[in-house]
Amino acid sequence: MPELDRREFLKLVGVGAGAAAAAGCSERVEHLIPYVVQPEVMTPGIAIYYASTCRECPAACGLHVRTREGRPVKLEGNPEHPVSKGSLCARGQVSIGRTYHPDRYTTPMSRGADGKLAPVSWEEAIRTLADKLRQGAAGAALLGGDPGPTASQVLDRWVAAVGASGRVVYEPFAQESLREAVKTLFGVESEPVFDLSQADLVLSFGSDFMETGPSPNEHMRQLAEARDVRAKEHGGARFVYLGPRLSMTASNADEWIPSKPGTEGILALAVLRAAMDSGLTADRTALGGLLDGVDAARAAARTGVDAKTIQRLGAAVARAKSLVALPPTAGLSSRRASATAAAVLLLDHAAGAVARTVLLPAETERTKRPSYHELLALVDAMKSGKVSVLLVHDANPVHSMPPGTGFREALAKVPFLVSFAPIKDETSEQAHLVLPDLTPLESWGDASPRPGVRSLLQPTIRPLYGTRAMVDVLLEAGRSLGDEVAAKLPPGNMRSILETAWAGEDFRKALARGGSFAASLPTHEHVALSSAVAKLEVSEPLLEGEGDYVLLAHPSPLLGDGRSAALPWMQEVPDPVTKVTWNSWVELSHATARRLGVEIGDVLALKTAAGTLEVQAFPRGGIRDDVVAVAVGQGHTVGWYASHEMEGRPGEARGVNVIAALPAAVDEAGGRAWFTTKVQLAKTGRSEPFAVSQTQDNQRDRSIGAALPLAALAAGAAAPAEAVPAAPEHGARGGEESAYQEEIHVPFDPVLDAAQNSPYRWGMTIDVDRCTGCSACVAACYIENNSPIVGEDQVRWGRLMAWLRIERWVGDGVVEDIPGWPRERNHEELGKVDIRHTPMMCQQCGAAPCEPVCPVFATYHNPEGLNGMVYNRCIGTRYCSNNCPYKVRRFNWYDFSLENWPKPLHLMLNPDVTVRAQGVMEKCTYCTQRIEIARQPAKDQKRLIRDGEVITACAQACPTQAITFGNLKDPESNVSKKRQEPVRGYVALQGLNTRPATLYLAKVVRGPVEG
Amino acid sequence: MTPPPAMSVAAMMRPPTQAPESPANRDLLAVMGRPSLYYWLLLIFLVVFVHAVGAVWLFQVYKGLGIAGYKHPVFWGVYIVTFVFWVGIAHAGTLISAILYLFRSKWRNAINRSAEAMTVFAVLTAAQFLGIHVGRIWKSYFILPYPNQRGLWVNFKSPLVWDTFAISTYATISILFLFVGLIPDIAIARDRSTGWRRLLYTALSFGWVGTAKQWKAFNRAVLHLSGLATPLVLSVHSVVSWDFAMSIVPTWHSTIFAPYFVAGAIFSGFAMVLTVMIPVRRIFALEAYITEYHLENMARFILLTSLIVGYSYGMEFFMAWYSGSEFERSAWWYRAFGDYWISAWVMISCNAIFPNILWFKWARTNVTILFIVSVLVNIGMWFERYVIIVIGLSHEFNPDVWNHYLPSLPELTILAGSFAFFAMFFVIFIKLFPVVAIAEVKELVIHEKAHHGGGAVAHGEMH
Amino acid sequence: MSSLPVLPVRRVALPAALFLLLFGLVLGLPEGRAVSAQQKSSDAAFEAQRRAADPSAPGPVQPIPFSHALHAGTYQIPCLYCHTGTDRSRMAGVPSVEVCMGCHAQFGGDLEGVKLLKQYWENKKPIEWVQIHRLPEHVKFRHNRHIQAGVACDTCHGPVERLDKLYLVPDTKWVNLMNADKLKMGWCLTCHWQNNVSVDCLTCHY
Repeated sequence: MPELDRREFLKLVGVGAGAAAAAGCSERVEHLIPYVVQPEVMTPGIAIYYASTCRECPAACGLHVRTREGRPVKLEGNPEHPVSKGSLCARGQVSIGRTYHPDRYTTPMSRGADGKLAPVSWEEAIRTLADKLRQGAAGAALLGGDPGPTASQVLDRWVAAVGASGRVVYEPFAQESLREAVKTLFGVESEPVFDLSQADLVLSFGSDFMETGPSPNEHMRQLAEARDVRAKEHGGARFVYLGPRLSMTASNADEWIPSKPGTEGILALAVLRAAMDSGLTADRTALGGLLDGVDAARAAARTGVDAKTIQRLGAAVARAKSLVALPPTAGLSSRRASATAAAVLLLDHAAGAVARTVLLPAETERTKRPSYHELLALVDAMKSGKVSVLLVHDANPVHSMPPGTGFREALAKVPFLVSFAPIKDETSEQAHLVLPDLTPLESWGDASPRPGVRSLLQPTIRPLYGTRAMVDVLLEAGRSLGDEVAAKLPPGNMRSILETAWAGEDFRKALARGGSFAASLPTHEHVALSSAVAKLEVSEPLLEGEGDYVLLAHPSPLLGDGRSAALPWMQEVPDPVTKVTWNSWVELSHATARRLGVEIGDVLALKTAAGTLEVQAFPRGGIRDDVVAVAVGQGHTVGWYASHEMEGRPGEARGVNVIAALPAAVDEAGGRAWFTTKVQLAKTGRSEPFAVSQTQDNQRDRSIGAALPLAALAAGAAAPAEAVPAAPEHGARGGEESAYQEEIHVPFDPVLDAAQNSPYRWGMTIDVDRCTGCSACVAACYIENNSPIVGEDQVRWGRLMAWLRIERWVGDGVVEDIPGWPRERNHEELGKVDIRHTPMMCQQCGAAPCEPVCPVFATYHNPEGLNGMVYNRCIGTRYCSNNCPYKVRRFNWYDFSLENWPKPLHLMLNPDVTVRAQGVMEKCTYCTQRIEIARQPAKDQKRLIRDGEVITACAQACPTQAITFGNLKDPESNVSKKRQEPVRGYVALQGLNTRPATLYLAKVVRGPVEG
Repeated sequence: MTPPPAMSVAAMMRPPTQAPESPANRDLLAVMGRPSLYYWLLLIFLVVFVHAVGAVWLFQVYKGLGIAGYKHPVFWGVYIVTFVFWVGIAHAGTLISAILYLFRSKWRNAINRSAEAMTVFAVLTAAQFLGIHVGRIWKSYFILPYPNQRGLWVNFKSPLVWDTFAISTYATISILFLFVGLIPDIAIARDRSTGWRRLLYTALSFGWVGTAKQWKAFNRAVLHLSGLATPLVLSVHSVVSWDFAMSIVPTWHSTIFAPYFVAGAIFSGFAMVLTVMIPVRRIFALEAYITEYHLENMARFILLTSLIVGYSYGMEFFMAWYSGSEFERSAWWYRAFGDYWISAWVMISCNAIFPNILWFKWARTNVTILFIVSVLVNIGMWFERYVIIVIGLSHEFNPDVWNHYLPSLPELTILAGSFAFFAMFFVIFIKLFPVVAIAEVKELVIHEKAHHGGGAVAHGEMH
Repeated sequence: MSSLPVLPVRRVALPAALFLLLFGLVLGLPEGRAVSAQQKSSDAAFEAQRRAADPSAPGPVQPIPFSHALHAGTYQIPCLYCHTGTDRSRMAGVPSVEVCMGCHAQFGGDLEGVKLLKQYWENKKPIEWVQIHRLPEHVKFRHNRHIQAGVACDTCHGPVERLDKLYLVPDTKWVNLMNADKLKMGWCLTCHWQNNVSVDCLTCHY
C-alpha cells in the first residue's frame, strides 16, 4: 500500500476528479497538487492493480483492484483465484461504491442525552466501550457476519480475554441444513462443494445456485464449461430445474418442472426410486426402508409433477455418467430443509456423484460458523436482560430478522448497543455507540470460502476518513481493561496478526497472488452412508397461517440479503427476471392475477400470520398458480439510496421488506427456514407504475435473441464453417409474419469496415447460449464508464443511462395484431423455459444508421472500425438515436454528471473516461479508453496490440465468458475464431444490413432430457 | 405581365399627394386606422405571453431537456412536430404569391399579402423550434458550415444540414417577396400618414412614386422573385420530409414522403390563411375585397390537397401491408390501434374526411363552415406530424424499449407560445402595413371593370 | 487557491543580497569566495528568484518563486529529471516536494523560495502550483506518446529554460484562414497534420 497521508490523497483526488470533470471547458483556475512524497510504485496517470478479496457474499471471489493515484476506480476478477477465475459478479463489481458511499460514518458516533448520534473522538469512544465492558463484560456479546478466519480467531480470543458471554456468527442465507444433512447421511462435519464443470446432468431441486448459495459466480462458470457446445458433444450437460418459480437460474435450464414448493425431497426420493427401477445400481439395504412405498404415482400426487416426468428423470439419472443434484437454496428452505437436502444428497450418493462432483471437504481449521439457533438463544438472553452490551459488526439484524423472533423488542432491552457498521443501516441507527469499521477495500484481512483456499484482503487506499478496523478497536478496548486481559489478547494490530497467521506462507507472494490456493480440495475419501439415513422423514413443508397461496421469499441476485441495497447500481440495474428497478414486487401467475382482477403495478395486500405487506403486483407466466414470490433485500428505512432519502423522503422504506411477513421458523437442525408461510392476497385498489427497463419480452420473431435446436446445430456443424453468418433457424413457424427474414441479406465481412491501412478492426462475439442474465457486465459497464444513476422516476421515463443492457426474450415471440398492447405483458408459460438473455450494447455497425444523420460528425466511423462518439462535438439533435435500430444510445436529459452525485461518490469516477455533460448523446464504444491504454506499451515496443491485451469491462466481468472481444483483422485472435461458428452466428435485426461488428451466437435448445 | 394602370401614368405628372382618393385606398387603409382598445389588450396579452413562454424555454435550457416529456426511445417530440407544422403553414404564402402569380390567377391578389406575411411569420416561428429542440443550443453553431480553426466541417450527408439550408433560404426569399410586394402600398400609406409613421413609410418605400419605370421594375422584380420562389414551394417541404424519409425508422422510411408533405403543407397553409383571413375580413369589413369568390377558390384548393393527403394515408397503410415486413406492419397496426389511436384518428378524420364537405358549393360559400373546416384542418395537420414522428419512434425495431410518450406541460406551453408568437407578429403587421395589397386589388378592380364588371367593382362602388 | 501571501521579495531578498555582498567584501574576498562555495547562493539565483516572483511579469504568481530559467537554463537540469514519469504516463509528472528537497536539503538554504519550500516539507504540505498549460477535461492528451515521438517539451510549453516566471507563451497557427491559439484544437491539429499522425477523433476525445 503506497504511503501517502489522507490529506494529500484527498488533494490528489482533487486533480483526479478535475481530470474527469464534465465535458466542456471552464475558465476557473486549476491547481496542480503533487505529492509531498511520491511513492516509488506510483506514477500519476498509470493504474496500479492490487490483489484482494470480495466480501459481498461468503463465496469470497478474488479481486484485482484497479487504482489510480491511490484510489480504487474499478474492481475486476483475479484470474489466479480458484473461485472466480477472473470474473466478478454484479454485486462484487459495485462493492467499490461502499468505500465512497455518502452514508459512511466518518467518525465514531455516540448517542448523547438528546438521543441523537453525535461525533466523538476515538479515544473517548474506546473509553466508553471499555467502561461498559468493565461494568459487566459477562453481559457483552458479539454478533456479526463471518469476518474471515484470522479476524474470527482474534474475536474468539477477545471474547475469552474480556470474559464476554459469547459471539454469534450470523449469515441470513447460511445453509446450515446442508451441513446437517451431510452429518445425517455420512456422519462427517462438512459443507458440500458442488463441481458442475464435469457434470453431464444437473438437477437443481429448487437451487438458485446462480443467484445465491455457496458460490454463484463459480457455479455459473462451471455450468457454462459443462455445456460448452464446442468442447462437449451433444450440447454438453443437461440442466433440469425443479421448483415453483422460473428464477434467473431456472431460466437457464433446458427443462423447468414446476413442482410444488417444499416437496423437492419427496421428488428427489421418487426420482431415485425411478432411477433404480431403470437400472441404477445402488444398494437398497443401506437405505433401510427409506424408499419403501416411494413410487412415481404417489410422488406425483404430492409434488404436482406427473409420474411420467419422474420416471423420465429417473431414467436420465440412471443413464447419467456424472450427475449433480443440488438441494434447495435459502428461498426454498422449509422447516424440513435438512431432510430435503439429505434426500437430494442421497440421490447424488446413489448416482455415485459424492466425492466426484459433490465433494465433501475435510475441514481443518475450525472457525466459528453461522448458527441461527445460537442467534435465537442470544435473542432470548437479550429479552431476559442478560445482555448488557451487544456489539454488532457486518450484519443488519434489525432488517433481516423476522419479527416473530422478537429481535427488535429484545434489542430495545439491551442497554448498550455498539455497531461497527461502516455505512449506516437500520441497526447502526439504533446503536448507542458507532465505531465505524473500515470498508473491505481499506482493510487487512483474509477469507477462506473452503479448505485449501486462503484469500487475502489488503488495503488499496488509505482510510478515506478517520475510521478504524474493528479488530484493532476491540483489541485496544480490551487492552485498556488491564494487563491480565491484555496478556490474553494477541499482540499488534490486524496487519501484524494477519502476517503471523500467514507465517507458514510467503506473505508478500500471497499478497501479490491474492492468497494461497491449494492445487486440490482436501476431501473426505470414500464416505459411507450412516444408519441414520433410514430414519430420514422426508415430507411436505410445514406451512403456517392460512390462505390459498404460499409465500416464496427468495434471495435477489442483485441485493443479496439486503446489504447491497445501499449501492445505487444494484437498485438501478434491472432485476434479471422482471427487469424492475428501485422497488419491490410480488410475482403471481397470470391466472392468479385474473382471479384477483389485478394488472401489473396494482398494489396487493399480502397477509400472513406474521404481518401484512403492501406491494405492487407483477403477473407472469413463470410461476405456479399456488405461489406468490417476493424478493428479499428491499424495504430499508435508512440510507440515501436504500430508503427514499434520495428523493427527499428520509425514513420512508423503498419497496417492502418481505422478511417482515415471515414467521420465525427453523428447520430440524435449528437452521433458518425461509419458505414457511401461507399468504392471503387482497386488492388495495391503489396502483403505482413500475420502473421497468424492458417493456416487452416478446421479440416478435425479429432475431434479436435467436435460438436453434440441437439437431440443427449438429447438422450445421458438419457443414464447412462460413465466414458469413447465416440467418439462424427460427421456431418452425414461418408464414408471412417472418417473411422479413427472407429479405435479401447482403453477406458482409466486418473486416472491410475498417480502414485498409489500419491493423485493427475491433469486434465482439456474444454467446447467447452462455449468457445467464446475471448482469455482471451491466454493473461493470456502469463503473468503468462513469454512467450516472438516474433514480426510479427517471427510469420510469425510460431514461436509464446504461450503455449495456440485458434483454430477456421469451422464445421467438409471437406476432400480435396489436403490438405491445397491453404493454409489459409477460409471455412466459408454466413449465416452459425458452429464455434468451441477449446483452445489447452498441453493435459498432459497419454501415451504422446513426453516422450519416449526425449533422456535425459527433458520431462517425473511425479507422479501426469503431463507431466513435465525440461528446464535446455533440449538439444533441438526437437524430442518431432515432435512427439506431438497436436503441442503445443514451441522452443526458439533465446534468446527470458528478455535480449531482453526493460526495464522495464522485471520487470513484474513472479518470480515463469523460463524464458527459447535459445535452449530449452517449453510448458504448467498446471501452475505447482501454484500447488506448493497451496501445501505449504496444507502440513503445513498436508492435501491434496482442490478442487479450484489451478486454472490455463487460467481457472481463462475465462469469461464463459469453462475451469475447478482440481484433477481427487478426485471424488468430480469440474473437475471430469464435466467429467461425458454422450455424450459430447471427447479427441482431438481420434484415437491416447494418453490418454490425458484434456477432451473436444463438442459444442452443437442448430440449427436455430423454427418458 | 400586367401593364401599369393607365391612371398612374397621369399620376406621374402631378405630385402624388393629390392623387384622387379611391375607395380601395380608403377602405384598405382604414384597417390601419387608430387601433381600438381590444386591439391593445390583445397585443399586450400576446407580448406578455410570448415572454412568459420565453422564460419557460430559458428554464429548459438551464435545467435540461428532461423537463420535456421525452421517453427513451422517443427522442423527437412536440418541438419537432411543431417545427414541421409551422414550416407547413409557411407554404401557402409562397404558393399564392409565386405560383398563382405565374399562373395569372388574378383572384390571388386579394389574399396574397396576408398569405405572404403569414409565410414570413410562420417560418420565423418554425426556426425557433430548431433551437428549442437541440440539447446544447450554446453549441448549435456547429451545424453551420463556416471555416473554423478546429478544421471541422459539417456532415453534408445529414438531412438536418439540408434542413438548415432549406429553412434559411426560404426565410430569406419569403421576406424579400413580402417586402417588395409592400413597396407601392407603403408609398400609398406614406402619402396619407403623418408623424413617425410617415418617417417609417418614407424610409421603407424607397421613394416610390408610381412612375411607369418604377412599375416596370416592380413587376419584373415580382416576376423574378416568383420564379425563384416557385421551386422553393416544392423543395423546402421535400427537404423537411427527408428529415424523416432518409432515416430507417418504420413509417418514416418511405418514398411517398416528399409529395405527401408538400401537399400537406399547402393544405395546412391554405387552411391557416382562411383561419386568419375570415376574422380579419369580418372585423375590418373587407368583404368587398376578399370576396366569397376568393374564399371558394381557397376551399377548392383545400379540397384538392385534402384528397392528395387522404390518398397518401391510404397508400402508406397499403404499402405497409403489401411490403410484408413485420416492422412496417406492426408499426402501422400500432399507429391505428395502439396506444396513440386517438391521435391517429383525429388526423385521419380532420384531414381526409371532414374537408370532403367542400365538395358542395353551399359549403364552400358558407363562411362559417369554411372557418370550422379550416380550424379542423389545422388541428388535423398538427396531429399528422405528431402521429408520424411520435408513434413512429415509440414503436421501432427493438421491442425491448417500446415506450409511450406524452407531451409534458413545458412542451405544451411552448407549443401554445408558438401560436402567440405568430399571432403577435400578425397583429402588429395588420396595423402597420396594408393587409390587402392595395395596388394589386386596384389592378383587379380595373381588370374586372374592363371585362365583365364583376361583383368586386359593384361592391367597390358601393363604398 | 494559494493561501500564501505574495512574497515580500523586494523588501527582503534585495537588501539581503546587497548586505551579503558588502559582508563578503568586508571579510575579504578569499574567505568570501570560500563561504559562498558551500553556503551562499549566486546572485544570479537571487536575481532569478526576484524575477520569478515579480507580479508585474506575465503569468500567475506561484506559491514558490521557482525559476525554470535558473534550473533548466543555468543549471541545465533536464526536464525529466524533475518531471518524472512524463515519458511513461498520460499525465505530466509534477515533482513532489521530496524531489525538490533532494537538492535543496544542501543548496540554496538562504533563498526565500527554498525557505518556503522547507516550510512545506516540514508541514508535509503539498505545493499548490497554479496550472498554466491546461487542456479541457474532454481532451485526453498523452505526454508519453509525444515524448516517445521526440516532440520537444518547448513545442507546447514554450522556451521554459529561458523563463523565470512561467506563462502560456502565446503562439498561433493558421487553420482555414483562422488563427488557432496555443493549445486550441486547431493548434494541435496542424502539428498532427504536418507529421502525418492520427487525427482520428477518438485519439484524443473519449
